[in-house]
Amino acid sequence: MGSLYSDHPTWLHGLPAGLKLLVLALLGTGVFATQDLTVLFTCTGACVLTFASLGRATKPTQPLLIGLLITSVLIGLFHLYMQQPWLGVVSVLRLLCTTLMGLALTLTTRYTDLLAVLEWLLSPLRFFGAHPERLSLQVALMLRFTEHFFVVWRRLDDAHRLRTGKTGGFKILAPLTIHMLVAARRVADTLHVRFQR
Amino acid sequence: MNTSSLSIALVSLFAALIAVLGLIPKIDLPLGVPITMQTLGVMLAGCLLGPKRALQALALFLAAVAIGLPLLSGGRGGIGMFFAPTSGYLIGWPVGALVVGWIMHTLPSATPRTAAISAFIASVIGGLLVVHVFGVIGLVNIANLPWEKAIMGTLVFVPGDLIKCALCATVVHTIARGLPDWRFGG
Repeated sequence: MGSLYSDHPTWLHGLPAGLKLLVLALLGTGVFATQDLTVLFTCTGACVLTFASLGRATKPTQPLLIGLLITSVLIGLFHLYMQQPWLGVVSVLRLLCTTLMGLALTLTTRYTDLLAVLEWLLSPLRFFGAHPERLSLQVALMLRFTEHFFVVWRRLDDAHRLRTGKTGGFKILAPLTIHMLVAARRVADTLHVRFQR
Repeated sequence: MNTSSLSIALVSLFAALIAVLGLIPKIDLPLGVPITMQTLGVMLAGCLLGPKRALQALALFLAAVAIGLPLLSGGRGGIGMFFAPTSGYLIGWPVGALVVGWIMHTLPSATPRTAAISAFIASVIGGLLVVHVFGVIGLVNIANLPWEKAIMGTLVFVPGDLIKCALCATVVHTIARGLPDWRFGG
């Protein structure tokens, strides 16, 4: 399974993942804390420029950008209809600001780097008996099984189509879940043998 | 079987199931309301894993979305999804799964029939009510919609979600017959 990360190198690729996450967190908090249009327009302008500076790297996000534009227009029109244009502008600016920066972060940061930051952030939970280091293992397992179960789903769907001439749809959900639960027990046995825990 | 290994496997596999449900094309109701199957995954996680593991599975899934994996229906992903007007629904998923799991754990599930009835009740409360409450809070805070408009907007999805609750109960019924030793609600 591929992530939205872009291999096309940009200046943002060079910055540490933790710093980019910190900027995003501060920006996200900042734009929701203010209703000053000057501040919001300045932040949105900076975000649009930052995003545009990524050039060709932004290509994979085109469908998401179209969705963002449609949502922004709908929110704007709704507030216009409610005779609250100012509130509409504030909402749209906040949305553009945070979503563009979120996309910029996703495009320019490998998910393994973000995972490392996430594990670091979760490390204090060790004092409460949690195991943040398991996150990488669990994400890897999840990705492996996403592909596996999609194949199983297609197989069950094909079998159902052969039997009935129709696609399986929701009818194959129960057999898929049973397949999955049985697989979970096998994987648990394997993990137990491998890690002795 | 070791419970720690089983937890790792179940949490990862349910996060994978929710991802797979996002890969399956959405179904449009005659009124044009789309049904994506990922909220069904939230209900199933609660019913089959119990509160703690269901919460972990949804947290893992959302962490994977946040780090940029395109696991939401329509191939969406990235931390930007948590700033969108519908992000309230996303944040409501783990809480909804926790509530579904807790109710399923509390209600009887000795026979396939009682398990299915319990699953339906748990899904309606946790998977529908709780998720929609979070969704409405998100719409009000991020899209600045008035409460009544946000509630009206979310009500459109309720018929589709009730179908998912019934589907969840059907799946639980089938699993109760197919895997009689499975402990619903953890």
